[in-house]
Amino acid sequence: MINHNRIKWAVALALVFASAGLIVRPVARLPPVPDGSTFRMTLSNEPPTLDWNLATDSVSFDVLINLMEGLTEYDEQLRPRPAVARSWEVAPDGRTYLFHLREDARWSDGKPVTAGDFEYSWKRLLDPKTAAEYAYFLYDIEGAEDYNTGKTDRPDSVGVRALDDRRLEVRLRKPIVFFPSITTFMVTFPMRRDVVEKFGERWTEPGHLVTEGPFMLDEWRHEYKLTLRPNPYYYGERPALSKIVMFVVNETATALTLYETGDLEMATLPPEAMSAYRGKTEYVSAPILRGYYYGFNVLKPPFSDPRVRRAFSMAVDRREFPAILKRGEIPASFWIPPGMPYYNPALGLPFDPEGARRLLADAGYPGGRGFPTVTAAFNTAPENSLIAENLQAQWKRNLGVEVLLDNQEWKVYLKQLQTDPPPLFRLGWGADYPDPDNFMNLFTSTSGNNRTRWKNDRYDALIRSAAAEPDPHRRQAAYDEAQRILLETDAAIMPLFVATQNWVIKPYVRGLRVNALELLEFKNVHLERP
Amino acid sequence: MIRFILGRLAWGVPVLWLVATATFILMHVVPGGPFDQEKSLPPEIRANVDAKYHLDRPVLTQYVLYLGDLLRGNLGPSYKYLGRNVDDIIRDTLPVSAQLGLWAVLISVIAGVGAGIVAAARPRSWADHAGMFLATIGISVPNFVIGTFLIMIFSYRLHLFPAALWEGWRYSVLPAVTLALLPAAYIARLTRSSMLEILDKEFIRTVRANGFGEGRVLLKHALKNSITPVVSFLGPLTATLVTGSFVVEFIFSVPGMGRYFITAVTNRDYPLIMGVTLVYAVLIVAANIVVDLAYMWLDPRMRIKDQ
Repeated sequence: MINHNRIKWAVALALVFASAGLIVRPVARLPPVPDGSTFRMTLSNEPPTLDWNLATDSVSFDVLINLMEGLTEYDEQLRPRPAVARSWEVAPDGRTYLFHLREDARWSDGKPVTAGDFEYSWKRLLDPKTAAEYAYFLYDIEGAEDYNTGKTDRPDSVGVRALDDRRLEVRLRKPIVFFPSITTFMVTFPMRRDVVEKFGERWTEPGHLVTEGPFMLDEWRHEYKLTLRPNPYYYGERPALSKIVMFVVNETATALTLYETGDLEMATLPPEAMSAYRGKTEYVSAPILRGYYYGFNVLKPPFSDPRVRRAFSMAVDRREFPAILKRGEIPASFWIPPGMPYYNPALGLPFDPEGARRLLADAGYPGGRGFPTVTAAFNTAPENSLIAENLQAQWKRNLGVEVLLDNQEWKVYLKQLQTDPPPLFRLGWGADYPDPDNFMNLFTSTSGNNRTRWKNDRYDALIRSAAAEPDPHRRQAAYDEAQRILLETDAAIMPLFVATQNWVIKPYVRGLRVNALELLEFKNVHLERP
Repeated sequence: MIRFILGRLAWGVPVLWLVATATFILMHVVPGGPFDQEKSLPPEIRANVDAKYHLDRPVLTQYVLYLGDLLRGNLGPSYKYLGRNVDDIIRDTLPVSAQLGLWAVLISVIAGVGAGIVAAARPRSWADHAGMFLATIGISVPNFVIGTFLIMIFSYRLHLFPAALWEGWRYSVLPAVTLALLPAAYIARLTRSSMLEILDKEFIRTVRANGFGEGRVLLKHALKNSITPVVSFLGPLTATLVTGSFVVEFIFSVPGMGRYFITAVTNRDYPLIMGVTLVYAVLIVAANIVVDLAYMWLDPRMRIKDQ
């Protein structure tokens, strides 16, 4: 009897052990001890896709920028320079671009990169069946919007054509001076029809994926890590790194611990750790092309009165934000951020509590008396709460008005902004490509992302003409005037600050430049381990 | 026995249907959809995307389509991780969570039952107080604090175990212990109180009077009769631990399924929400059947009742 029971227990225990053991994957892998030229970093989440027609997020872009190259790429100042396109010509009407491709660009399976690969990619991007969210990036190409929106089902009506293997002709519906900036963007990278058609939705898996940039995909263990190796057929100099490992690490604190234990070459610095690293050589901080602002719903009183909007903007001392957030944010009353051409720090309403009170009195609320209770809305996040509470205090102090705060979960908040924007709301905007059009277009009357309900014909006209303006001085003048309308006279939004990126990078990492688009390119990186 | 199992399995079907329906309704009631984002899509592009995922159809039609797919064993495409099906995601992540979860179950049972026996054997002794003090800590301190604490000591200072990542058995030690602490504490308290109750019973006095050693009294007679509450706690516990923990997977960068209980909802990735919820529901149903079988094994009276 005793033995019988013992056997039962032993069997039960063995079963639990066995089931734990059965699902253990064979782990032949060694712990990630790097060889001399392995670079290890983190991604903040699993890349949603490596299909560059479908990618819309910065994590996917972090991977893709090392796997792929477009017609053009950025130089250190984020100006477009030749990449797969050796050169290009613009016809006198400003509407036709002819790109000449390099002869030596090769895919990772050795096949040459052709103009047809670009034509295929762009038409696939625009095909409504692809359902690409960023298809509108190419809407300035003749016929592109009609094809994407189903007004025509003829892909040949789209103004992109491979004249032969080396020449790509692009016809635009209006002159766009910054078109070579758009071709740096991932959705425009070339694509291999044979690969996509052979593997269907799985064409981005390792072993299927064929790329033409400095690196190629070696391994992708979903939710865990991606490994990149040099592309032997890359036309440029072969990268010094023999391997890049990108671990999916959601927690910045975990990433920092791994950096400290020597398991990573670089990590994002969470705000709470900032003070411990500031001043050290491994600490790198730089602005990014991302603006943080509060918008007014100009149809809702009391913000239907521009004087009230100006007063709210002038009553805020923006120098307080970097002190609260502690990440070296750049206080901003301007909208085009530093690092982007045509940036002008002199624009926007300066901090002037005296003037703000006068404006509010003019609008009928002297000392804030009689001012209705308004609510400032933002999406739930610690950073947003800190900023909102500070704004609330500043408006109380400098204008004598009570502002209530209301936060909502991100998607709930977005829904509300779409259907019925609150009188006062927080939003941000990050650049996809470093041209001011990407920032200024946001507040035109036709922009789907303009939640202010503000419309200004002069502003629209300025943005339209600036996009086609080849002369830099006249373009500067147009953007300056447009920003004055947006921020000073009409004050439809009040920018607060420009965000920054903060990293720790091991001192033996050489040649890694961080840029304002937060793109980490590894082709020129090498390691000098002690 | 077979009839019992089949009967319970048949009951699982309406349970799963209810869970699926309730989840489907709830996630569609919550404002904001999978493709609402900071950079909103032009309406025409939004229409293309909605058409691709049938989001342009009435919700009732979507529901019928979903159930149809489900019956064919297809959990649908993820809206966030393009080109991947929910089946793929679960196949990649569930084994990782399950492995970690089973280790945690094992640790919590051994530690919890062990501590419970020791505490019950010498009530109000220093061992009892120490054990129950630890159990109170295990229950009241959140696991992200415990996890961080373990990383501080065992990886950062002592370099005994890796701080995070998932490359081999050494990588599962800290997350498994973190995961196990709370259930271990519960089990310890359950075992202790249940043992104390049994040790007070008449038959134990008889056993002792018969001259059997204290070890035999505790382990054979008292433990077997007081383990039932622990077993009923183990069923849902196993289902919970095996499907992964959001917090532990985040802190230790474990590529498991637990993270999707939260992120699928924040992303409004409808098929993924449904997928992970259903996997959890299936495991709960299965675990409860196993618990009932275990009752029958432990307690002969249950067998008779069933027959």
